[in-house]
Amino acid sequence: MPIPPPFRLLSACLVLLVGSVTTGCGGDDADVVIYCALDQVHSEPLIRRFEERTGLKVRAEYDIEAHKTVGLVRRIREEQNRPRCDVFWNNEIAHTVALANDGLLMSYDSPSAADIPETFRDPERRWTGFAARARVLILNTDLIKDREAPDSMWDLLQAEWKGQVGMARPLTGTTLTHVTALYDIIGEERTREYLQGVKDNEVHLTSGNATLMRQVREGRMHWGWTDTDDYWVAKSDGFPVDVVYPDSGPDGIGTLFIPNTVCVLANAPHPDAAKQLVDYILSAEVEEHLAKSRSAQIPLHTSLEDMPHPLDLKQIKPMDVDYQQVGAAINARHAELKEFFLD
Amino acid sequence: MAFALLCLAPIFVMLTRVGAADLESLGSERTLALLGRTLKLGLHSTIIAVLIGAPFGFLLARTDVPGASLMRPLGIVPLVLPPLFLAITWTAMVELRGPYATAIVLGVNTFPLVALFTAKAAARIDARREEAALLVGGLRSVLRMELPLLLPGVLTGAALSFAFTVNDWSVPDYISSVGPKFNVYADEIFANWQLEAATGKAVVTALPLVLVTLAALLPALGLRRRGALATLDGDFRRPAKLQLGVWRWPAFAFCLAIVLFTVAGPVARLAYEAGGGSRGFTVGAFKESMATTLEFEREFLANSLIWSAVAASIAVPLALIIAHAIERIRGARLLEPIVLLPIAVPAILFGIGTINLWNHDLTAQLYDGNGMILLLYLGRFLAFPVLVLSGAVAALDPRLEEAAELAGAGPLRRLRAIVAPPLRPSMVGGWVLVFVFAMRELDAAVLVPAANHTVIFKAYNRIHFARDDSVAALCLLILFFLVLPGLLWSLFAREKLEVLP
Repeated sequence: MPIPPPFRLLSACLVLLVGSVTTGCGGDDADVVIYCALDQVHSEPLIRRFEERTGLKVRAEYDIEAHKTVGLVRRIREEQNRPRCDVFWNNEIAHTVALANDGLLMSYDSPSAADIPETFRDPERRWTGFAARARVLILNTDLIKDREAPDSMWDLLQAEWKGQVGMARPLTGTTLTHVTALYDIIGEERTREYLQGVKDNEVHLTSGNATLMRQVREGRMHWGWTDTDDYWVAKSDGFPVDVVYPDSGPDGIGTLFIPNTVCVLANAPHPDAAKQLVDYILSAEVEEHLAKSRSAQIPLHTSLEDMPHPLDLKQIKPMDVDYQQVGAAINARHAELKEFFLD
Repeated sequence: MAFALLCLAPIFVMLTRVGAADLESLGSERTLALLGRTLKLGLHSTIIAVLIGAPFGFLLARTDVPGASLMRPLGIVPLVLPPLFLAITWTAMVELRGPYATAIVLGVNTFPLVALFTAKAAARIDARREEAALLVGGLRSVLRMELPLLLPGVLTGAALSFAFTVNDWSVPDYISSVGPKFNVYADEIFANWQLEAATGKAVVTALPLVLVTLAALLPALGLRRRGALATLDGDFRRPAKLQLGVWRWPAFAFCLAIVLFTVAGPVARLAYEAGGGSRGFTVGAFKESMATTLEFEREFLANSLIWSAVAASIAVPLALIIAHAIERIRGARLLEPIVLLPIAVPAILFGIGTINLWNHDLTAQLYDGNGMILLLYLGRFLAFPVLVLSGAVAALDPRLEEAAELAGAGPLRRLRAIVAPPLRPSMVGGWVLVFVFAMRELDAAVLVPAANHTVIFKAYNRIHFARDDSVAALCLLILFFLVLPGLLWSLFAREKLEVLP
């Protein structure tokens, strides 16, 4: 009996669907699966290099800037009953610590991380930090000209800069991590005072650090908080910008480093290959590559201390921060900041 | 069944995560203020959409404005653009700040909805009524007679414009990056997905906006039914173009200004950036960045085109069956509001629901492969062709089907031989809608593996670190492929595309 035409149409649709399911990327043919929040343009060539060297097939899944890592972190949480991901390469640290605290990561002491300072490593080795960004002030040199440049986070609250400076709204990304760290470093009262000052001084609150960088480089703001990678993109594209590492004096609290972090997931489907991949990502070679890229990441391996770097790293006084504490507090701080800024 | 599995199950999976304690988070003074501000923004942007869209749609559909055939398809372009593209290109050209600027951008983004519905209503006014009015009192009398007939169309478009606007958070956030911060309720929803491990609370936060969206969409459905939709039974006489006389050129200037302001401006800005922008525009640099971007992103463009086209091709026959059932099975019409749910819920909620629904051992191959993105596209956008086709089926005379049934034709044969042929423009219109929305889908799709290989994902990925010229070139390429199916249909088909429910 011939198939009625509508069924033919539906059959064709089903064939298309089934065909697309059984072909193409994805599936269980990967030797290791990595979720990567670092920008694809920087991380993908490294992952491909790992594949060439080891012969292992890597399935890499990326996030987008607009999602501020939420997409991948959410997926890891939602997939925990049937994990699909082996390795999580986060471009920041707080969410990774939160995942570790929720028991979603396994311990792995990678030999590649031996010369990374303990500050950037989990005592239980569930995660390791590497290739950091720093929280800095980006300045438009055309607008600043003869005015005295800022050198402290408190300059943001000076009346002379009222309505001329900015920061990302501290509800996402590295700005949230930064403000969460401030609660620890300068205390709750002074942090709240600072945040109130941000509102009172009409500080512009951008949708992210990259947006802030664009506003400063195009002269809509004189200066503002951003990350070193965003500053370096503007600088290398020829815009009139400069950088200040704030509070670097003897009494200053220093500049916050926010490292990338890498970890192996608990119940990872491919734990051995995952460890191999983590060893590679934590190698000095990867840090060196990221330091030379457009994101100008700051290497943490002590063996790379003297490597030439586009940023003047000697100027930076690192902030003494307990990342475990920051990661543990970030949910509560986020709730408080949401009440304050999302009004 | 297909609709329930693809479109509703991910939502209900998420609702099962809600506990009684989660409901306590609703209704704080702060969130109510956010909701109030969002409604006000929606209202303002809808007013702008109506002020632009209603005259634009009417003039181009029914009058002798020069260049109408060209300007009419161009006027749809703002709707296919992701609203953030508009915000970025406009703020690069002019100082747009504050809530009113936000309302303008969102109003411009959605005015084509009002224009399309107005145009459709205007095209369905019977020529005999118009001729009678013209005889009695000239053009003014015609317009007075037509206004009440156009109103359901205008209001339907306005309701849709409102629904789209209140769910957007990217434009308010971006435009208020300089100047006083302007927060909306969708910010609250996104913020709760950020860090809260408690999924139930995040789901609950979305509910007020889902209800607001449904409250806007349900009257739109009702208006369409009441609507001014003439049947296609052959008794209808198409009206002639109205002669505007001396008003022809001011009307032309108005329509041209809209097209220049909403389409040509942003596209020109993207072209300028692609050609070097403030570092010095050259045609050579423009050609090079377009060629290089096409070369690098060819694979991702191809993926997006294929998956969007496949999703649209699967969606249309499914939608035809569902839409026909809604219209012809007694009582099924009551279920039509449910069709709106996948459109009304936030994309991220739908995406996470899809993970929960499909990430199991039994469906592992599906979850890890490309089929997942098709399921997501179908789940999110099947509602559009269902609505378009149920509207079209409603306008079909059922007596034709009854006659075929008496002649012994089975249900599937009737669907193929009687129902489908006159609905071809609506079927193609439904196909185009799914294609366009799938091509630009990001927020839910980013949660499934295959989305990493789509061109919109690449575009958003490049915004952070890639050079501005390559990002602009990629945006232009995406825009070209978004409008391509509609453009081809307009150029080569003799029938008009029906993209309205």
